[in-house]
Amino acid sequence: MGSAGQSLNLTTARDAGLVACQRCGQVHPLGTRICKRCEGRLESRDAQSLQKVWAWLIAGIIAYIPANVYPMLLTSTLVERSESTIIGGVVELVQHGSLGIAAIVFIASVMIPVGKFIAIVYLAISVQRRSAENQHERHVAYEAVEFIGRWSMIDVFVVAILSALVQLDTIATVNPGIAAVSFALSVIFTMLSAQAFDSRLIWDADRTQQQ
Amino acid sequence: MTDPNTNGPAQMDVRPVKKKIWQRLSLVWLVPVVALGISLWAAYQNYADRGTLITISFENAAGITAGETSVRYRDVTIGEVESVEFAEGLGDVLVHARVDQHIAAFLDDDAQFWVVRPDVSVRGITGLDTVLGGVYIEGNWDTQADVAQVNFTGLEEPIMTRANQRGTTVTLRAENGGSISAGAPVLHKGIEVGYLEKPQLSRNGNQVVVTAFIESPYDRRITSSTRFWDTSGFSVSFGTGGVSLNVSSLASIIEGGVAFDTVVSGGETVAEGAEFDIFDSEQSARDSLFTDPNAEVLRVAVLFEQSVSGLTVGSEVRFQGIRIGEVTDLNAIVVGEGMAADVRLQAVLAIEPTRLGMGGDATPAEALTLLSDFVTRGLRARMMTGNILSGSLFVQLVQVDDALPAIMNLTSGDFPVIPTTESQISDVAATADGLLSRINALPVEELMDGAIDLMDSIERLANDDATRGAPAALVSLLDESRALIASDDLQAIPADMRAVIADLESLLSEANETGIITNLDLAIATASQAASNIEIATQNLPQITADIEELTTRANRLELEALVTSATGTLNAIEGVLGTDDAVAFPAEANAALTSLRTFLDEVREGGAIENVNEALASASQAASAVEEAVGTLPALAERANGLVTQITSVVNSYGERSRFSAETLATLRDIQEASDAISSLARAIERNPNSLITGR
Repeated sequence: MGSAGQSLNLTTARDAGLVACQRCGQVHPLGTRICKRCEGRLESRDAQSLQKVWAWLIAGIIAYIPANVYPMLLTSTLVERSESTIIGGVVELVQHGSLGIAAIVFIASVMIPVGKFIAIVYLAISVQRRSAENQHERHVAYEAVEFIGRWSMIDVFVVAILSALVQLDTIATVNPGIAAVSFALSVIFTMLSAQAFDSRLIWDADRTQQQ
Repeated sequence: MTDPNTNGPAQMDVRPVKKKIWQRLSLVWLVPVVALGISLWAAYQNYADRGTLITISFENAAGITAGETSVRYRDVTIGEVESVEFAEGLGDVLVHARVDQHIAAFLDDDAQFWVVRPDVSVRGITGLDTVLGGVYIEGNWDTQADVAQVNFTGLEEPIMTRANQRGTTVTLRAENGGSISAGAPVLHKGIEVGYLEKPQLSRNGNQVVVTAFIESPYDRRITSSTRFWDTSGFSVSFGTGGVSLNVSSLASIIEGGVAFDTVVSGGETVAEGAEFDIFDSEQSARDSLFTDPNAEVLRVAVLFEQSVSGLTVGSEVRFQGIRIGEVTDLNAIVVGEGMAADVRLQAVLAIEPTRLGMGGDATPAEALTLLSDFVTRGLRARMMTGNILSGSLFVQLVQVDDALPAIMNLTSGDFPVIPTTESQISDVAATADGLLSRINALPVEELMDGAIDLMDSIERLANDDATRGAPAALVSLLDESRALIASDDLQAIPADMRAVIADLESLLSEANETGIITNLDLAIATASQAASNIEIATQNLPQITADIEELTTRANRLELEALVTSATGTLNAIEGVLGTDDAVAFPAEANAALTSLRTFLDEVREGGAIENVNEALASASQAASAVEEAVGTLPALAERANGLVTQITSVVNSYGERSRFSAETLATLRDIQEASDAISSLARAIERNPNSLITGR
């Protein structure tokens, strides 16, 4: 599928000998180090971007493993003590017939993080291979990953609120498990990974190919 | 930006030096590395701490849930059940549990596991927490790490004694397990010092064996001379002291229980697992103190031809009066074969070798040798009556001098057989019969008849009215005497006498005062004259006296009673005389005469003139004549007194001898006689010396 950029044959800032501030959008001559408006660091291309993406991503994936293996919630009531992992909780909810809630939990805790991992991996690999395919779609994917990252903490919030509220000593107690911490770390690492991705690299491949 | 068309020196191919890979590496890579490291370390740690998987087989896994049921040791969770499955053949339930690695090293041969479930018993409720929290598996093992095991067989019942509980475990043997149950208390002087485990049958099935745990420090009280006895339920005993009811604790009534005591010192300390017998009662336990229940006994048999009724299991076996054992079994056996077959009654005797005087370590074999020697020399067994009333028997080993030669039969039958001799049961009965017949022959009835007769006689005598009246008569006699003495008349007499004497005294003192010294001569002279007149006037007085004397003489002549009576009568007459108005008037007249005399003397004194003497004398003469006249009435008085005496005498005589009246009269008369004596002595005195009337002397 032909990309819009390619067909339009747009001129990049770099081609024009300029560098734009990524925070405030002020354009500076190439080689300027500090943005004169917001004093942000100016870099035409972040050479270590991919390294950072990979590093954070790997850390995020590592953290995601215990988040699924260990229990998320430690619930102890007068009668019994139960530990539930994310998948276990989803299965339980499905068995109880709460398909809606099960879907929300599954999407928020499994599909979105895993989708983010896949999206970031795809973006990083495509950039490394200097693929010129689907530039626009990749941009959309990147925007989506960036946007959805902040909502990935919904699980952690639920656990934190439950743990804070349900502390009735021996009658009923809810405590966060190791998975909650791991999941939070995984989300943070993934967000950092997405942030470290320099989206301008996407279209650099286009330039190289054209030359 | 090279441009091949540009003039000038060729541009340097300036390219940045390719950085080494580590220089190009971002520091961010540290994050995944650290994360990976932490994850790996955590994973390893998790694996390393995973614990040891053990397998416990139970017959029944009620309540055990994989992932929930915990394994505990002294109520501390040391593991968790991972899975529950069936053993091959579905015979058992296998519970796989992961236990702490540090604990797993101690799980050796002695480790025991059981499932703790709620339990309600007489002594309380246990395992209540498992009602809500679910059951758990409790384990128990000692603190010695031995060869670790991973396969165990679980117990169906909780054990009572912890491996490391301080105390002593002893094994108790009982004939009957009905009175003991698991958990029943072990008491010592009424204090619960331990408990019983679950009773079990002994290996040979003859006895019930139960393990008792005695807690420290009470276990120090257990020595080889300790005796255990059954305290279950309650006991009622009848004795000379009445009925006594012994009740132990409520728990021991329901669950049973045993108590122990060490009465005799000097026992040796016992080792763990020592065996003791449980006696039926405290009394039998104490009785057994001087025998060693654990000593081996020699079992021999005795075959009796006659009935052994009265002989029971437990009957004594005595040798020369000393208890050496007891009967342990009684049964009938067939001796001989075919037509010669005969039923004999076999008593099995358990003989304690130590009792035969063979020392403490004598074995049954040595005792058997000794016994067979004795049998060769005439030792025989026989039954003897132990208690005439209850008819109980005991077996006596006795030396029979003229016994038929016999040896102990060591081969046939289960036990060596001691030959018998004639039992002594009938002899004792005969003696009792003879005693009774002799008692019957005694002349008891004759003896009783004689005794009854004697009693009747005594009774008749006692019932006689005369006998009964004697005391009453005596009492009335005494009463009458008392009344007489207390009578007013009698008591008044001394008072009257005193009054008479007082009157006389005042009369004399008055007369005394009138004598004045200055006119003494004259007075005496006139008085003398007057007195002579009086003397003349009183010439009749001697006659009265004579009469009285005659009366007295007459009285003297009377018989004993008559004499007294007449004397009394006389005196009464005198009293009557004295009591008459005339007698009373006499002193008055005499007094009047004396008054006149005194007046005359006064006149003489006052006048003091000779010429008045004649007049005075005339007056005195008048006075004297008056006196004479007064005295002249006395003979008449005497006459009347005489008559009175006669009357009284006749009256007195009319009463019978010893009559009460006469006795009273006698006493009265005696008193009156004294009074009359006094009066007559007065009269004599006046007669002898009439002057005393005037002079008061």
